[in-house]
Amino acid sequence: MKFHKAAVPACAAFILAASCGTDTADAPPIFPYAHEIHDFENGLRLVVVHSGYPNIVSLYVVVNVGSRNEVEPGRSGFAHLFEHMMFRGTEKNPPDAWQAVMEAAGASTNAYTSDDRTVYHATFSKEDLERILELEADRFQNLKYSEEAFKTETRAVLSEYNKNFSNPFRKLDEGIRDAVFTTHTYKHTTMGFIEDVENMPTMYDYGLQFFGRYYRPEYTTIIVAGDVDFDAARAMIEKHWGQWERGGYRADIPVEPPQSESKRVELDFQAPTLPLLAVSFLGPAYDDESIDSAVMDVISFHFFGESSDLYKKLVIEEQKVDAVMPSYPDHRDPYPFSVIARIKDEADIDYVEGQILETFKRVRNTPIPADELDAVKSHLRYQFSLAMDSTEAIAETLAHYLSLRRTPQTINKRYSLYASVTPDDIQAAARKYFVDSARTISVLTHRTDKKGNSDD
Amino acid sequence: MTDWKRSRPFAHAAFRAVAAAILVWAPAAHGAGPELLLQPGESPLITLRIVFRAGAASDLAGKEGAAALTAAMLSGGGSRQMSYDDIIDAFFPMAAGVSAQVDKEMTVFAGTTHAENLDAYYEILRQMLLDPGWRKDDFDRLKDKALNYLRVRLRGNNEEELGKEYLYLKIYGDHPYGHQNSGTVRSVEAMTIENVKTFYEANYRRGNLTIGLAGGYPADFPQRVRKDFEILEDGASEEIALPKPETPDKLRVHIIEKDTRSTLISLGFPIEVTRGHPDWPALKLAQSYFGQHRSSKSRLYQRIREIRGMNYGDYAYIEYFPRGMFLMQPESNLARRQQIFQIWIRPVVPENGLFALKTALYELDKLVREGIPEKDFAATVEFLRKYVNLLTQTQSSALGYALDDAYYGLPDFNGWIKQQLIGLTADAVNRAVTKHLWATDLDVVIITKDAQAMRRMLQTGARAKPMYASPPPDDILAEDKVIGGYKLDIGSIAIVPAEMVFEAVRSR
Repeated sequence: MKFHKAAVPACAAFILAASCGTDTADAPPIFPYAHEIHDFENGLRLVVVHSGYPNIVSLYVVVNVGSRNEVEPGRSGFAHLFEHMMFRGTEKNPPDAWQAVMEAAGASTNAYTSDDRTVYHATFSKEDLERILELEADRFQNLKYSEEAFKTETRAVLSEYNKNFSNPFRKLDEGIRDAVFTTHTYKHTTMGFIEDVENMPTMYDYGLQFFGRYYRPEYTTIIVAGDVDFDAARAMIEKHWGQWERGGYRADIPVEPPQSESKRVELDFQAPTLPLLAVSFLGPAYDDESIDSAVMDVISFHFFGESSDLYKKLVIEEQKVDAVMPSYPDHRDPYPFSVIARIKDEADIDYVEGQILETFKRVRNTPIPADELDAVKSHLRYQFSLAMDSTEAIAETLAHYLSLRRTPQTINKRYSLYASVTPDDIQAAARKYFVDSARTISVLTHRTDKKGNSDD
Repeated sequence: MTDWKRSRPFAHAAFRAVAAAILVWAPAAHGAGPELLLQPGESPLITLRIVFRAGAASDLAGKEGAAALTAAMLSGGGSRQMSYDDIIDAFFPMAAGVSAQVDKEMTVFAGTTHAENLDAYYEILRQMLLDPGWRKDDFDRLKDKALNYLRVRLRGNNEEELGKEYLYLKIYGDHPYGHQNSGTVRSVEAMTIENVKTFYEANYRRGNLTIGLAGGYPADFPQRVRKDFEILEDGASEEIALPKPETPDKLRVHIIEKDTRSTLISLGFPIEVTRGHPDWPALKLAQSYFGQHRSSKSRLYQRIREIRGMNYGDYAYIEYFPRGMFLMQPESNLARRQQIFQIWIRPVVPENGLFALKTALYELDKLVREGIPEKDFAATVEFLRKYVNLLTQTQSSALGYALDDAYYGLPDFNGWIKQQLIGLTADAVNRAVTKHLWATDLDVVIITKDAQAMRRMLQTGARAKPMYASPPPDDILAEDKVIGGYKLDIGSIAIVPAEMVFEAVRSR
């Protein structure tokens, strides 16, 4: 029996309304949580969200600095290194004092850096909110560490690079970026070029400069999500973060020129691995006004996702490929739209490449049937709703979007764009971005034979 | 000027994840339906966790990996009526799916759907688990995937998990826990579809089954599910006898030789304490103080990473915790009758490999000899008392913990641990540490490029001297000398190339 897509209640209720031809203006927004936004005079923005889940609060401090800002030669990876330094304390709260407060709160804390942002987060019981806001305000304003502590931390960062080294997808990511970008800072990964990582111990002075440039209120958005009172949260932030001084630095991020001829990269992985193949085109930056980047997401799910004809052919029917997946994460500037396949046998690399290129041709030339387009829109909306299963998950999702547009409304605008995508939009975007001369193909294999010997 | 922008709540956002009363319907009599564990709530999301009390420990000799491949066939293959293609198409608009997780004693199928899609979703899930298609093309694909997991993804692409999984292999030897959950390369290669069907018939039985449901499902839904699952054969599979795992004499070192930039270390030994054991809360507290997962507060992290900058993190465990490099909190439904104590040292530069190993053992030895300082005891109690709330943040994790409680015979993990912490003393923790932990007789797995050099260093009892980017304070340098000379009492050292790991079942 063929299970028909119509068996799914296609327009059952609120969540699908926007994708069923109803007036999208009346559809309830995809981000349904009550929230307030407050802009402080120093440029800091606060977003308070009622998640509906009891007792727990998530605090996310989103700084709009990432590896994208690393414009100076030799400084790649610095935003990430600096994220580590933020745990090195202040005069008032040295690392062990910071740790003691977080421990007493039973908090789960961490931080991460990406191309576009650095995010510091903690999830804990609501009664500890003010103490933790005070503590965090101190390190964002008064961070102080010795040169010795700086050097020590650079080695932890090198170890982090090394731990990632055994993952071939990391190597592929490095290869794609290096090939696609000639000018823009997305050329390097968030970890940075290895030679820069190895040179980090000498950059103490630059660290001080970096803090002065970017750890400023106008670069920062604070998310307080969970079981929290709007006015109380605002007053706490005012008290502890209100005196933070505005900065004035702006990095001049270079613009990537259009790619004029196709490229091909061969990458050698040091350990045995299945070959990886990536076909990439530079896609548009994230946007919630013009439709192109939303269209590209629809394309990625429909033509290259797990329910795509390509996946079914290569993975399920022919079984030549272990996995095929699209990759097009939201970015502030244009970023590669890639289709990546993990191929079981090196002999099939050319065949799989041909199938992927054939699919790109189909995106350009064959309109998508209306019911299949509806299925993608439905998928996108349910996927979003299903992911909002805790206060932490809601805050985490917001951190992503706020680093792109600084307001939760961008989520609703973006999902309205998804709802409005037509088959014509898809073909138009495909013809604009999937141009042969702008294509980059990367192939990663294990070339050398390195055998050990056994006496086990 | 401040600018307030208000956005008002919408009707459907008003739900709260109600901390629901848990109602367990035990089988009324022999032949009755499967056990249900219900956490009704008002969320529009409905979670199902379907747990069979059978897993890799039930794999027959030579058929290692059967439990995992069976679960993969159900969650990643077609039903009799629907091909896997059809299932993917049907799930896609709902953004839903069925995941499977197989451990030694448990197999869990989990999924969450929006209430609007419950009927369509559940009908597919029902077919997948109760009326499987057993198609050859699905089997070939999933077998290939299992082989690639062992050969490529684990051996080649995830050194940290490789070391941790190999440690379990070496500790358990020919014990029923002594093979990787996915099996060995040879056993999976030899697996047939008949082997998988046999596993299903023997173990997917009503007496092994607990069905967990959470969220805003309709009132008659539990009965409907229960009735459907009555199609499974009655009774339970026979419980696998577990011998007491052997504790090695001295240090038993296993070096995996692999072309890598780093040296990675995992070490451990079996413990008799599992969740529900009277000493578990005390040992849990000691573990949290000593090596709380992914937390900078713990002793190991402080001494190895924070002060010495040697790596990315260092942690300790008293329960199986796979995929720790991707997770901040452990997954549920990995309950076991036997556990190990484990230390995980994340990659260090090869020059610091021996020193990192010595530091971990020196610190463990110190913990056993001196116990937990009183102030750290109090701080850890305070931490755990609140931290446990984060473990059950999502509907799915709350349901998973409740299912584990049923396995271990606990009332409610969250309440139980808080209650236990109230009466706990530092003395009791230190007594448990002395009784259950040691730093001498254990297995050590080291992954490194130059295995022979590592062996020589270990054999000759070399002093270890750390390499620093910046010299630490004098008291640390003084301690370095003590740690550098810390004597390792080594019983045996074996070297294995990475490509031989998980190849076949072998004894220690």
